[in-house]
Amino acid sequence: MLGVYVRSLGVTRAMPEAKPEFLKGAVDLLILKVVALGPIHGYAISQRIQQISKDYFQVQQGTLYPALHRLENRGWLGAEWRDTDTGREAKFYSLTRKGRKHLEAEMASWEQMSNAVALILRTAE
Amino acid sequence: MRWLSRLFQRSKQDSHLDSELRFHIEQQTADYIAAGMNPDEARRRALAQFGGLEYIKEETRDARGTQVVDSLLQDVRLGLRMLRQSPGFTSVAVLTLALGIGANTAIFSIVNSALLRPLAYSHPEQLYLVREIVPQFAKFYPTINANLPDFRIWQKQVHSFADVAIAETTSADLTGMGEPESIHGMRVSANVFSLLGVQPAFGRTFFPQEDESGHGRVVVLTDAFWRTRFQGDPFVVGKSIALDGVPHQIVGVLAASFHFPPVPPSMGGAEDYSGLAFFEPLDGPRPYETSLVGEFDFVAIARLKPDTSESQAMADLNVVQAQISKQADDPMPMKGVLLPLEEVIVGPARSGLIFLLAAVGAVLLIVCANLASLLLARVPARMREAAIRTALGATRARIVRHVLTETVLLSLAGGGLGVWIGAFALDWFVHVAPPGIPRLNEVHIDARVLVFALALTVATGILFGVLPAWRVSRSQPADALKSGAWATTESRRTRRLRETLIGFELGLTTLLLILAGLLTASLGRVLAVHAGFDKSNALLASVDLPPQSYDKPADRLRFYNEVLAGARSLPGIRDVGWVSIPPLGGQGSVTGITLPGQQQPHGETPVANYRPVSPDYFAAMGIPLVHGRIFEPADRGRKVVVVSQNVADRFWPGQNPVGKVCLTEWGPPIPAEVIGVVSDIRQVELDKAPLMMVYVPDWFNERSVPTSATIVLRTSSDPAGGAAALRGLIHKVDGQVPITSLQPISQIVSQSVDARRFPMFLAMAFAASSLLLASLGIIGVVGYSVEQRRHELGIRLALGAEFSRLVRMVIRQGMRPVVAGLGAGIMAAVVAGQLMSSLLFGVVPYDPLTLVTVAVVVGMVGLAACYIPARRAMRVDPMVALRHE
Repeated sequence: MLGVYVRSLGVTRAMPEAKPEFLKGAVDLLILKVVALGPIHGYAISQRIQQISKDYFQVQQGTLYPALHRLENRGWLGAEWRDTDTGREAKFYSLTRKGRKHLEAEMASWEQMSNAVALILRTAE
Repeated sequence: MRWLSRLFQRSKQDSHLDSELRFHIEQQTADYIAAGMNPDEARRRALAQFGGLEYIKEETRDARGTQVVDSLLQDVRLGLRMLRQSPGFTSVAVLTLALGIGANTAIFSIVNSALLRPLAYSHPEQLYLVREIVPQFAKFYPTINANLPDFRIWQKQVHSFADVAIAETTSADLTGMGEPESIHGMRVSANVFSLLGVQPAFGRTFFPQEDESGHGRVVVLTDAFWRTRFQGDPFVVGKSIALDGVPHQIVGVLAASFHFPPVPPSMGGAEDYSGLAFFEPLDGPRPYETSLVGEFDFVAIARLKPDTSESQAMADLNVVQAQISKQADDPMPMKGVLLPLEEVIVGPARSGLIFLLAAVGAVLLIVCANLASLLLARVPARMREAAIRTALGATRARIVRHVLTETVLLSLAGGGLGVWIGAFALDWFVHVAPPGIPRLNEVHIDARVLVFALALTVATGILFGVLPAWRVSRSQPADALKSGAWATTESRRTRRLRETLIGFELGLTTLLLILAGLLTASLGRVLAVHAGFDKSNALLASVDLPPQSYDKPADRLRFYNEVLAGARSLPGIRDVGWVSIPPLGGQGSVTGITLPGQQQPHGETPVANYRPVSPDYFAAMGIPLVHGRIFEPADRGRKVVVVSQNVADRFWPGQNPVGKVCLTEWGPPIPAEVIGVVSDIRQVELDKAPLMMVYVPDWFNERSVPTSATIVLRTSSDPAGGAAALRGLIHKVDGQVPITSLQPISQIVSQSVDARRFPMFLAMAFAASSLLLASLGIIGVVGYSVEQRRHELGIRLALGAEFSRLVRMVIRQGMRPVVAGLGAGIMAAVVAGQLMSSLLFGVVPYDPLTLVTVAVVVGMVGLAACYIPARRAMRVDPMVALRHE
């Protein structure tokens, strides 16, 4: 069961044992954070996440595109079709005001959670 | 609605998604090439890394949120396909659902209009009926109608009333427009329309000064009368019509939607509001309407000020009533009471309507149980299909949803057809329903009814689908797929469920049958009641003498005598007589009774109905003489009366009343002599206790030759044939006299119980359909289980079991739920019978005869329903049954 989820969430290699819900939130958070830097298309998002995390996260397409469309559907991401530097037309995502608020809230709660987890891990030793 | 537009933009969305994903692959390929890979290899790697394109598209579509609708559409398509595959089941289901939902929609429409919709006046919650309490009558009439002078005082002095209006029913002879006709109307205070908040369709209503004497020769017509008598003439305002020979100017026409508040007769309203033709203003008090404590004839409706409570207004009213009491010539402590108008109008019908709604709801429940049972029989086949779907990845929720989609589709089809049927049923119902159901003339299918029908339809679909869906979803793919044979056998648990459903159906059916039986028994008791008069072979014709030509009692008496003389010579007539108001004709005028020399304290004066009659009326009506004699020519000029048995019992218990002197007083006491005692009669309703009656001869006083009377003809055989002759006779005596009704007494008796017969008839119809449905359910369940066990039964037969024993065994099993349901139904009926005891007459809710009859009927029908399939299925040769496997 777990395997199915992990495959569909598409975060591979480094975190085979991770919990699904936890990860789903994480992927959304990563995408929002990357898009927050400026309008960007899907391929670039996956590249950027991989680069920034120094190849730790590799968000697969099966996760990325459903997530993008879900976030767009919720009104956190806006999207428009425009030309890239190479003159190809691509769908560029950008953060909406609502999305920015959500990102800030999520980052705060993520920070709290990771602090709490770290605290438990340290003190429980 | 965003998802809806997205749904329809699906192909556009898809092509966008496609180019987005392709762009990704191309970029990846370009990156690989840039890193030094050859183009073919780069493309292959990019594609491989990307994974399943279609899979990602599917996931992305899911994320967009239209997936639920997509799968619903898919379920609907699949459901429709399944339903097309079994047209027999589908048509039976749709038809029974349509009948069930249709009947429910029709009954609910009536409940909606009678009980749920607020009265069609502005702020109906502020409207109250004002009733007076006169201690003198309180013992016999706890509250009475209002009196005209009192109304005028209330209008000025009761400050809690925003306004108060009065109305009384009246009739007038319409002449100068073809055959004379007695038409019904209302005499109202000028403010009644503004008080109710209604506007005329055109013209005007009344001016306040038209309440004053000599200014009220104006009428407002009802829409129905205007359409039938004036063919909807738009220039009718300003024309004049002759009412009782007096020209009245038409000043306005009311809207078709206007109905005068149908205050029931028990509260002083009219018997029938549907035939109202006109409204006329008060035109001042009549000479007899000037006393503060007499002629309590008016329905009074008050509108409270918006911020006034009922109790506050009632206190105000009673302060004023106390002042009125002091001013009266005969001071007595009068009081008043306010009753919410809505409750007065709909209250009496509430329990009957709720009973009907519950009964028709029970029928629909039985329909559901039957369909659920039919679907459960198909569960094994469905299980295999469901198992395959589960194996292919469908979740249990999806399978439940799929089955429910199918059943809701069925019930939507049934519901659509049902609303259509319901509209017809409603028309029929309004047509044949007896008086007594309030606001029936306002009934129509409105938005609330449609919402009810839709909600009922969906709920029905879910209700009969939920058990089968649950069973189907329990299928274990591995088991179901392992063997084909397994999947076709009904599991024990499914059979248990089906038996429970049958028990439930039988329980409800038993309940309905018993309640319908109790209503039938009540009707029988009412009709068998000792009415005090002969209920057959009499013809009654009521006439209304036009006041302009029959102002003098002598003229009226001559008319009656001429009619009687003519009637005596008609063939087949045994006795003829006249009376002011016949039995079952209502109360009418009343009089107080006291004994000479005996001072009755106020409030204790008994009240009796006052009935002028011709001497031979008792013979004509078949009212037996108990003591003494009836009026004779020798009595002419003497103050003699005949009283009913209950008057004698009350005043002279255990003594011979004949010869005693009693006083009948209404105004100054009149000494009189009792010469005879006749049997009590049921004057108002067959199911109401007899009232005290005082019969007086035409020479008794100035009121004893009535302006309207009923001619009674006793015939030796069926009187219906004499109707035309009697009509001809009356018109021959005076062609200007309208006949207000002409009916055999049997018909009058029968109509008086319409209000009982109609719900009884409906309850019987519902109960009978339930019994039919339930027996079909039994046949289905037993037949199916016999079919399932053919192999086993074949072996038993082959081993020498007797055929009759096997049939008995099958029947015993089939009867188990029948007996259980019967028992539960009887218990439920005893409880429900208590709740509806107000609808019963002369029977207890646990009436043994009804219970036994129903038990026998249900038992016999159950046995037959078990026997038919048991017998049919086992008529096969054991060898054939064995080879069948």
